[in-house]
Amino acid sequence: MAMLEYAPRVDMDASTEQNGLAQMVGGLILQNLQEHPHKREDFARLRGRVAIVAEDAGVAMTLAFQGNMVTVSDGIVGVPEVTVRARSEDIVQLSLLELIPRVGLPNPMGEATRAIFAKSQAGHVRVYGALLHIPLLLRLTRLLSVN
Amino acid sequence: MSHLFPSDAWASAYQTAVNQNPQYKSAGKDWTHGKVALVVKADASISIDQDMAVLLDVNAGTCNSATYTSGEQARTSAAFAVEGPYDNWKRLILENEDPIKSLMQGKLKLTKGHLPTLIRYVESSKQLLASAQNVATQFRR
Repeated sequence: MAMLEYAPRVDMDASTEQNGLAQMVGGLILQNLQEHPHKREDFARLRGRVAIVAEDAGVAMTLAFQGNMVTVSDGIVGVPEVTVRARSEDIVQLSLLELIPRVGLPNPMGEATRAIFAKSQAGHVRVYGALLHIPLLLRLTRLLSVN
Repeated sequence: MSHLFPSDAWASAYQTAVNQNPQYKSAGKDWTHGKVALVVKADASISIDQDMAVLLDVNAGTCNSATYTSGEQARTSAAFAVEGPYDNWKRLILENEDPIKSLMQGKLKLTKGHLPTLIRYVESSKQLLASAQNVATQFRR
């Protein structure tokens, strides 16, 4: 049987050159895909736009996933399915969420997961569109996780 | 006595400050990922004619040395390099600005190093830079 294989692609839009948040998130996705091939399955299935806003830093970015490809842009581009608004340090902490092995869901017993949950309840971390796009959010969480 | 930033004397005082910071000792106790270079971009208006750096040999919560050297030398020796213009470093030291926030704003750039590792040690990075607040610093402008 013939097979076609497509390489994952992370496109950094020229607008991101001065956007450190976009550089960090784009770089993290790229490094995670290079070092953890199992994350490629989630990456290939990701579709939709996710905006991330670091409120204290006054910086925003958009990830536009198109199945095995993502375009990283400065600012909020288009209408995101999911928007994450948080402080810089909490955005970093989102990539530290502990995942349950094999299941790939955030571990509610994990230190970082509990901290983010508490901040979410206090309104410091806000995720808009989460309930309507749970698969997108879970795949993104796994893709960005450094654990 | 205050020390000119950056300089040999400042680097030496910074090493002492890092080692006197108990929060760094705790947050950095698992750091075994190599040296860290803090690179100040060249700025002829303040007599920094080439990129200069403070190269930190940090391991397991201890700063074994802090060397004032050229940016090029530091980039070669370090596992991680963070770079930025003089005024952004000054603001970071004076106002204890969050280095992660500075990275996100593009005021500082990670030009060398494994980002997922740095993210795991974000508190260690913060404490490392927070230690600079305890150095009596004289700025070039």
